[in-house]
Amino acid sequence: MTSSHPSPAGPAAGADGHAGEDLLAGYAAGTVDGVATWSVEAHLAGCGRCRSALSAQVDAERLARNRSVLLVRTALPGGGRARRLLCRCGLPDHLLRLLAATPSLRGSWLLSVIGVLAVVAGEAAAVRYGWVPAGGPGRLAGYRAPEVLAPFFLVAPLLVLAGVAAANLPMFDPTYRLAVAAPFSGFTLLLVRAVAALGAALVLVVGAAFLLPGPGWLPVALLLPSLALCAFALAAATVTDPRVAAATAGVLWAAPVLALLAAAHGPLPIVQRNAQFACVAVLCASAVVLLMRRDRFEMGWAR
Amino acid sequence: MGEMTLDVSTAAVRVDGLSRRYGATRALDEVDVTLERGITGLLGPNGAGKTTLLSILATANEPDAGRVLVFGLDPRDAAGRVEIRRRLGYLPQELGYHRHFTVAAFLDYVAILKEITDRRQRAEEVARVLAATGLEGRARTRIRALSGGMRQRLGIAQALLGQPDLLILDEPTAGLDPEQRLRFRELLSGLPGDPVIAMSTHQADDIAAICPKVIVLLQGRVRFAGTPAELAGTAAGRVWAAGERDDRAHLSWRGGDNRWRHIGDHPPAAAELVAPTVEDGYLLLSHAAGQ
Repeated sequence: MTSSHPSPAGPAAGADGHAGEDLLAGYAAGTVDGVATWSVEAHLAGCGRCRSALSAQVDAERLARNRSVLLVRTALPGGGRARRLLCRCGLPDHLLRLLAATPSLRGSWLLSVIGVLAVVAGEAAAVRYGWVPAGGPGRLAGYRAPEVLAPFFLVAPLLVLAGVAAANLPMFDPTYRLAVAAPFSGFTLLLVRAVAALGAALVLVVGAAFLLPGPGWLPVALLLPSLALCAFALAAATVTDPRVAAATAGVLWAAPVLALLAAAHGPLPIVQRNAQFACVAVLCASAVVLLMRRDRFEMGWAR
Repeated sequence: MGEMTLDVSTAAVRVDGLSRRYGATRALDEVDVTLERGITGLLGPNGAGKTTLLSILATANEPDAGRVLVFGLDPRDAAGRVEIRRRLGYLPQELGYHRHFTVAAFLDYVAILKEITDRRQRAEEVARVLAATGLEGRARTRIRALSGGMRQRLGIAQALLGQPDLLILDEPTAGLDPEQRLRFRELLSGLPGDPVIAMSTHQADDIAAICPKVIVLLQGRVRFAGTPAELAGTAAGRVWAAGERDDRAHLSWRGGDNRWRHIGDHPPAAAELVAPTVEDGYLLLSHAAGQ
């Protein structure tokens, strides 16, 4: 009896219209060419006899291995739209997967940052939107006293710094001991995590700054100081304990902001022209130190 | 960078005069050790220096003095260190986990740290170690939902990623139930490629069961290196079974047969000499070292 389904093509096809044993064996092993594969698959779709014959040809061990691999792949988290978008932008999938272990990219951390930013930007935003009565001694480009910006100016760069520090401090990484003894470059790991944490925090800070009263450049005014602080902390971590480095960077930001407030100047000078130049200088110097001493991040024996 | 020269000869790991201090505490004191292919067991009480020695071999710690060569590579050299790490599987004593990770995601993460960047290859490796440690059915389980024994198996699984030539396991059987310990022994015994395995443990029966070589570390110094039979042999003629306790014994305890087992230099009254075990040899060494 011949099959009523399309006959597989080629010399290995059986004379009775079914797939020959050699053809099925080649198909099971993945060694037949594209046309023959298509032909066999078209035939198998409607032929129970050949499907049964094929199952005898399949390497059970290989099948089990493929099944295990498939199960593992389906067990891995997809990563959502952000990861797919970054993958499309050319970022390697494995680097993005490393970010899953970064505490400052987790939802709970980001929600906390949003909460703090909402609090410190609250008063200034209330002024902008006229929720509180105007008045007061100083004025800022048509807005009320610049002192209302002080909490945001003080806290926002520190939040960015905290995010970068949490992404890299061993105390926040329970698998630190594995990372230490792994061949993956510690410096690359540091940069990947730092850039991701920096990016996430800066997006939130800039977004919150749009709520503030003040000149149009205000939302980007804290970018350079935040970058300079983080770069300084990472560079300082090549010569001292990373916790001390992060704390020092925090003090170096908080001290002048508080001093300006104590002198009743308002916080704006800390983000105006001269301060921005100083931040560029710190950023460049820190980058040079970081590059020159990057071996210090190849953790373990070198520490 | 030029090709690293890899010495895969029998003496795969050579340690000479290794010392390490933590403040005033001397964790390792001029330790000389040679590890060959196969399993070497490291016995010693808490604080004897086992973890320090293993962490130095795993390039995760730095000695104050001494020299280490792993497959002929020197971990003080940056390129040599990376090459050693590429051949290394390491289970630290207190391995932490990202508890929100699933088992598969954790192993995938560690595989990336081991430079397995190809997705398909990573999935195959993860599937392989899951099967080897009996965790296949747990790939989707979050780590926080695993029992202590399963976490320990997960720790062993991550160490096996990449089929390492050098496997350093710091108390791998801690937290495993008897059946899991037997499976672990079976797993280690059947590893392909005859890797160099250094394993610390408090379980003398693990040593006796699977280690062709044993090293006893006491107060930061190597007090014994040899076969388990030789370690047991150090207690030959000094282990007795008796009906009554004898206070002159260094150590004595009542066994399951209700008879007292004495270890020491003085035979109790009406006692019979019994065959010593690895544990007896270790206990006598510990006693002699004042532990």
